[in-house]
This record gives sequence, structure tokens and C-alpha cells, in this order.
Amino acid sequence: MDGWLGVLIMIGLGIGFAGVMVGLSLLLGPKNPTPEKLAPYECGMAAVGDARERHSVKFYLVAMIFLLFDIEVAFLYPWALALRDLGWPGFVQIVTFFLILLVGYVYVWRKGVLDWGPVSSRVRSQRPKAA
Amino acid sequence: MDLRTAIQLGIIGLTFFMLINASALLVLAERKIMGFMQQRYGPYRVGPHGMLQPLADIIKLLMKEELRPKGADKWLFTLAPIISVTAAFAAFATVPWGAQTTFFGLLDEPVKLGVADVNVGVLVVFAVTSMGVYGIVLAGWASNSKYSLFGGLRASAQMISYELAYATALASVVMLAGSLSLREVVDSQSGVWFGFIPRWYVFLQPIGFIIYTIAGVAETNRAPFDFPEAEQELVAGYNTEYSSVRFALFPQAEYINMATMSAVATDLYLGGWHGPWLPPEYGWIWFLAKVGVILFVYIWVRWTVPRYRYDQLMSFGWKILFPAAVINLLVTAALVLYFNA
Amino acid sequence: MFNSAFDAIVPLLCVTLAALASMSAEAFRGKGERMPIGGLGIVGLAGAAVSCVLLWNRNTSSFGVIVADNFGLFVTMTLIIVGLLTIMFSSQVLDLHDLPRGEYYTLVLFAIAGMIMMATANDLLVLFIALEIMSLAVYVLTGIRRDDQRSSEAAFKYFLLGAFSSAFFLYGIAFTYGVTGSTRLDRVGTFLAAQSMADNPLLLVALGLLLVGFAFKISAVPFHMWTPDAYEGAPAIVTGFMSTGVKAAAFAAFARVFLSAFEPFSADWAPVVWVIAAATMILGTVVGVAQSNLKRMLAYSSIAHGGYLLVGLVAANQVGKAAILFYLLAYAVTNLAAFGVIAMLGARDRANDELRDYAGLWQSHPALAALMTVCLLSLGGIPPTVGFIGKWYIFSAAVGSGYYGLAIIGVLTSVISVFFYLRVVVMMYMAERDGAPALPRVGAVGMTALAIAIFAIFYLGILPTAVLDLAAASISTIF
Repeated sequence: MDGWLGVLIMIGLGIGFAGVMVGLSLLLGPKNPTPEKLAPYECGMAAVGDARERHSVKFYLVAMIFLLFDIEVAFLYPWALALRDLGWPGFVQIVTFFLILLVGYVYVWRKGVLDWGPVSSRVRSQRPKAA
Repeated sequence: MDLRTAIQLGIIGLTFFMLINASALLVLAERKIMGFMQQRYGPYRVGPHGMLQPLADIIKLLMKEELRPKGADKWLFTLAPIISVTAAFAAFATVPWGAQTTFFGLLDEPVKLGVADVNVGVLVVFAVTSMGVYGIVLAGWASNSKYSLFGGLRASAQMISYELAYATALASVVMLAGSLSLREVVDSQSGVWFGFIPRWYVFLQPIGFIIYTIAGVAETNRAPFDFPEAEQELVAGYNTEYSSVRFALFPQAEYINMATMSAVATDLYLGGWHGPWLPPEYGWIWFLAKVGVILFVYIWVRWTVPRYRYDQLMSFGWKILFPAAVINLLVTAALVLYFNA
Repeated sequence: MFNSAFDAIVPLLCVTLAALASMSAEAFRGKGERMPIGGLGIVGLAGAAVSCVLLWNRNTSSFGVIVADNFGLFVTMTLIIVGLLTIMFSSQVLDLHDLPRGEYYTLVLFAIAGMIMMATANDLLVLFIALEIMSLAVYVLTGIRRDDQRSSEAAFKYFLLGAFSSAFFLYGIAFTYGVTGSTRLDRVGTFLAAQSMADNPLLLVALGLLLVGFAFKISAVPFHMWTPDAYEGAPAIVTGFMSTGVKAAAFAAFARVFLSAFEPFSADWAPVVWVIAAATMILGTVVGVAQSNLKRMLAYSSIAHGGYLLVGLVAANQVGKAAILFYLLAYAVTNLAAFGVIAMLGARDRANDELRDYAGLWQSHPALAALMTVCLLSLGGIPPTVGFIGKWYIFSAAVGSGYYGLAIIGVLTSVISVFFYLRVVVMMYMAERDGAPALPRVGAVGMTALAIAIFAIFYLGILPTAVLDLAAASISTIF
């Protein structure tokens, strides 16, 4: 089918299917919850504290650099489509763009943002510790 | 409703039905192949050669109790699997799976085999598959369980990291084809070079194809990149607290995503439904065969390669795959310009 | 130049390349290794200065969105001076607080690049990008002392409110585009010249939103709330940098947008800016009197100075427009020097920015006390310093356009402000230093920078004609 209607129908079918399945299991399944069943699984021990605590800053860093580079990739698509019209000048421009990004990429790499391993594996923060 | 609309709706329904079946078939195939590789039978009891096993599984899961842990977010907990599955179905919407056909003269104008033919199909596949990460992250967050949360976080970091390489690899193909429409990309791969090599982009983009396949495995959270549910560390990752059908929807989404990845790889790199011997109307057989081969490789890899370490995963994605994809793209661009001039 | 289309962005390129070079240098710096990264910045800024001189009077334009007219070049020069002084003041401060050198200089240079882009942008969207480049760098600079709670708090407040104001600004751009069909300032101006406000009520919305966005950046009342907290919490040298550089760039953009593109509607926005200017001058001065923290006091003083600049904008005659440019330069040099003194007197464990920390400065650091006195007198507008000349031209422009009320408010608040500047002077010369820990010594580079600034204050205060002529020549290119 031409156009976007098919995508919409597919989304509708997906939601409908998932909804019906969840609804069916609510109808068919038994219901006898006990406190033990409702406790979050922690290998048989009683759950300690809340799960929603602060987590490693690494995840935030990855999210941030992802945003930067994803925007870059988003820029690439129109250029890739128009490559033959833009010719070599367009190529030079995109290479310049990449070189600028490369500086940021090298910086991020050298600063250890991409390293998730133990700290000892690499020079982590190169600035001296604050006294 | 005229005949044409009915047939088009029928195609959509068929695609949808096949996707549901694909997830069931893939569960069975996975277990059978796993059994074969581990020198045992796999499922054997239900039906001939265990063929009805997936059906039995679904019925069993439907009859199970839906548990929601105390402290879980009521709405998000239910919404998460629904988002995952919906995104998985919707991602397939712009993937064409066959050439045009008139159904042996039934129609005056041929219809295109595929749910929707939009001019930015590649971007839609992208956008919608990355919606899938919401389902996983929300599942991890809503469960209020530490394992779930870690699984969800890992999944998000992993998927966004590999999405860069994946997207950049695809940009090279888009550049070669000069179109964002999947159908046009497939059609630009018809014909042969030197009389016997099919004009598939995999021969022009071998590195791109490898990058795409690896990133695709990571995007679908399959082994060796199955960190979101690494059972030795995280019990079951983001779906630890799920039971019954809500649990079943996650693997289903995963298998549909596998099918989508394979179908997109077929369309972009392996010439889609183009192939020798069969007339164009039967191109979908080629399509299914190619998808089947890629899916087999998926399963093969899962039962052959051990899981990575998380730091290896991240540094592989950011330090090797992504730069390789960018260099591949630039080299491709230079070659395209050189040979075009 | 190999392609004249790039001429207008050469100053911008010099600074950006210097920033990228600093970033690479920092990335490859070994642990504990010292690199002259600040020197890289100075080289880049010097290159930008040279290109500014070469571009003078050529009125070049790059792709129609960046114009190197004399107005933009004058402000660019001001910004380069701000950058040079900041880098010179910084070297000592960075050592003292163990701030990350590479990141610091990179951010300063990126901020200056954003400011230069802002001053030369001829397209609202480019202006917005420039604003963001500048703002993001300055947000991080504000919080660069991560172990300091006040610094982090200041950065967070500044970031939230700044992001909020950027949204206003962006909406203003969207509405402007909706009404006029272009984001290019010259086209907007041509379109608006043939319109009246009654035809386009949406234009009022656009104008209002743009005004709010600019008012945030120049911290005009009632959008000044972030200023005292951000200025107090940031490291003193960063405060100096953002109170001068950000203000100069924002004012340049403000003047360019409102005095060229929106000039046809000046009758509509002038009364609003009149009120804002009056309120800004009064609030900045009156609240400033009550402050006991020097940085906070200078923050309010900076708000008040924003008010004086707005007077020039309201007056909008030839004298007023030239006076804005001259005042920006005068204020930048003076205020940066004052903050430089505060920054260099800060110790590792205490900021030394309370008023009583300056008791008896005359005995321990006579030269520094004298220099600080000159800066404060110039901020207060006392002859023969540059502050006096700047205010003189601003107020005479207001009188010339018939805004007697504004001129009177301006003179009165100036007189009141002298009170709190003199309070510091009195403290330095007449109070005894009792028990407070001794202040640190000031290094040679910092003293050189201070000497340059003081020379500029006196030179521009006694022989302002040359620079005033330049300012007058600058405004002729766009207005």
C-alpha cells in the first residue's frame, strides 16, 4: 500500500495484538498474590533498599556523546542522498565537518569516557587531584 | 471497498500474521538448532518433532498469573512490553518483501508486496526500531528491581552505542542507491555484473555489511551482545519481574526485531527479491530464503560465541565499529564521486 | 584569502581553530605535563585581531548570514580584548584552584567564538546557534569548580534559566519567521518597513519574545534573577568574563536586531525598553548598596550598567548608538580588571570576596589597591576615567532624543552607585586588617594584564576621540 496509512495500520495492529494478549492473560490467569510473590527478586533474600538509586555517571556520558554523534549521523543522510549533485566540494565540506568532530572524538577517547573497564587500565583523569 | 484495497489490506494482514508466526517459528528453530548443535533433540514431545511446542508455550503462558511487584509503576509496567511489541511490528511496516505483482492478471495495476511504501523507508525503520529501547528501559525502570534496572540501563547504553555504527553503515548504501526508499534501493540492485555476479550491494559494501550485521545483533540484544538479560549476572535483566504474557511479549519483540533486521539486510545488501531462475512474481521466495539464511546465522552465532564483557562491548562499538563505519562511508563517497566523474 | 565568501568568518575561524587546538593539546597532554595552552588561545585571539583590522571598512559578508561590517568588527575587537585579559588573569587562578587548564581555555575560546558569531550574525537562526555556543560554554565555566557547592549551584541555576530564556528567544524567531517569511535580518527589516503593527498582531508576540530572550542575557530587570547567584557562585575570573563578554555580545546582537531589523517599530518597543532601562538602573543600584559581598555587589553593579546601555538603545540617535559601542568597550575593560583583582586575591581555601577581606589592602598590596581604586572609580563614572566618558555620551544621547526622565534617573543612580564603590575604596585605605589571613601575592602576568587595563581606562578617559570616531564609523555601516 502506498503512503503512510500502512504504517498506521501496522502500529494499530501491534497495539491491538499486545493489548488483546495482555487482556486475555488477565482473564485466564489465576490471581492469588502473596507478599513473597510481590517482592522484587533478589536471589531469595529480602530486597534491600529501593532500586531506583543513582547510577554510574558513565550512562549519562554515553547518552550525551550519543546525542552529539547521532545528530552528526542525521546530517549525513541528506548529504549521502545529494552526494552526486554536491560533488567534490560537498565531499570536502563533510570531511571538514568530520575533522572537527574528530577532535571531539579524540578528546572523549583520551579522557576515558569510552572506557568502562577498571580504572587501572588507562590514564583516567589527567588533572592533578584537588588538595 | 474495491478489490485493490482489499488485496492491499490482505497483504498487510498477511505480513502481520507472518510476523507473529515468525516469532513462534524462530523460538522453535532456535531450540531445535540449539539442540542440534549441542547434540541433543530439542523439543520433541508436543506434536510431530515438537512442531507444536510454541503453541503449547503460548497457551501455558496465557494461563499463568500476572505478577507485578510491590513498588512497581502500575502503568509503565504494563505499557513497557506493549511498546516493545508495537515498535517491533511497526518497524517492519516500511520493509518491502516482494516485487510488484498483478496476482496473475487479477488486477489491472500491479500492487507492491509490502505493508507501506514510503519514500523515507530507511529512516522509518531506524526511528521505529530505536523506539523499542523505550520498552526495555521502561520495563527496567518500572519493575523497581535492581536487576531490571541494570538490564534496562545496559540495554539503553548498548543500543544507542551501536545505533551509530548501524546508521552510518546504512548511510553508505543510501549513498550508493541515491534513495531512502527501501524499494528503490532493492530495485537498484537488479541485474548482474560480468554476466554472473549479482549486483548486490554486499559486494560493493562488504565492510558495511559486516558492520551492519554486528550492530544488528547488538541492536536486537542477541548473544554475544545479550547484556540486558545476561542471566549469569542479572538473572534475566530487564524482564526479571515479568511473568505470563507480559513476559512473553519481550522475546516476541526480540524475534520480530531479528526478522526485521534480517529483512532490512536482505533489502539493502542482498538484493531483496532479486535472484536468478525465479520469475519476478516469485521473488518473495528468494526474499524468504535470504532472510532465512541470515536468521540461521543469528542463531548459529548465539550458540557458538560466548558473551562479551561489558567494557569490551562498549569499546568495540565506540572505538572500532563506529570509526570503521565512518571511514567506510567516506571511502565510499570518494569512490562514488571518482567513478561518477 | 582563497575565497572571498569566507572572509567575514576569518576572525571566527581563528578563535575556533585555537579552541580546537587547545582541546587536542589537552587530549594528548600527559599526566602532570604542563603545556602552554593559554598561549595557544592568545595566538588565536591575536590572529583574530589582525584579521579584524584587515577586514575593517571592507563590509564583507559570508553566505549572507555572517557579516563583518564595522559594527560587528568593533564588538569583535572588544571581545578579543576581553578574551586576552581573561586568559592573562586566568593563569594564576587556575594554578591556585587546580582547575582543568585545557578544558578551561577551550571553553573560554569557544565562548568567545560564540560571542563573535553573535556580534556578526545577520540571521536570527545563526544568532541562536551563536547564543547557544556561547551559553553552553559559559554554563560549564560557571560550574568549573566542581568541588565547590556554590559554583555548582550557580551553574545549575544559570543553566536552567538560560535554557528557559533560549526557548523564549527561539519562539521569538519562529514567530518572526512566521510573520515575515525570513530569518535574515536584512530581509526582515525590508519586510517590516512596509508594515504596521496593527496589520500583524503576531509581530507583537515575536517582538516581545525576542525582547525577553535578550533581556535574560543582558540581565535586565525583571529577568535579572539569575545574575547575583550566578555571578557570586562562579569563580571570580569567570564572573568577570561573563559579565563583560556575554553582555557585550548580547548587547551587540540586541542592538543589531532591534535597531536594524525592528527599527520600523521603534515607536512600539521603545516605551517598553524605557521602562526596563529605568527599572534596571534603579534596582541594580539600590540593591547593590545593601551588598557586603564584593562579587555580589559587582553583580548588581553589572545589572545597573546594563540599564545604562539600554538608555543608549532607547535614545537610538547617532550619539546613542556610538555611545553603546564605546560604553561596551569601557565597561568590559573596567569590570574585567576589577574582577581580575578579586580573582587573583582569592586563596585556595577561601574566596576573599567579602568586603571586609579588603580591609587594609593598601598596606599589604599598595599597587593592587591603587589599581582597584581606579577600576571602581571608572565603574562609578568619575573623571578622568573611561567610565565618565561612557556615561557622559549615553546621557547626552538620552537628552538629545528628549528622554530627560531616563537621563535624570541615570545620573541619580550613578551618584548612588558611587557610594558603594567608594565603600570598597574606604575599606582598602582606611580600615585596619585585623586577624584575617594574609592575601596571596599576585603574579607578573596578572599584573601586566592589570596594567594594560588601567592604561586603557586612563587613555580612553582622557583621549577618547580616536576610539569614539571608530565607534561612530562603525554604526554608519548598519543603521
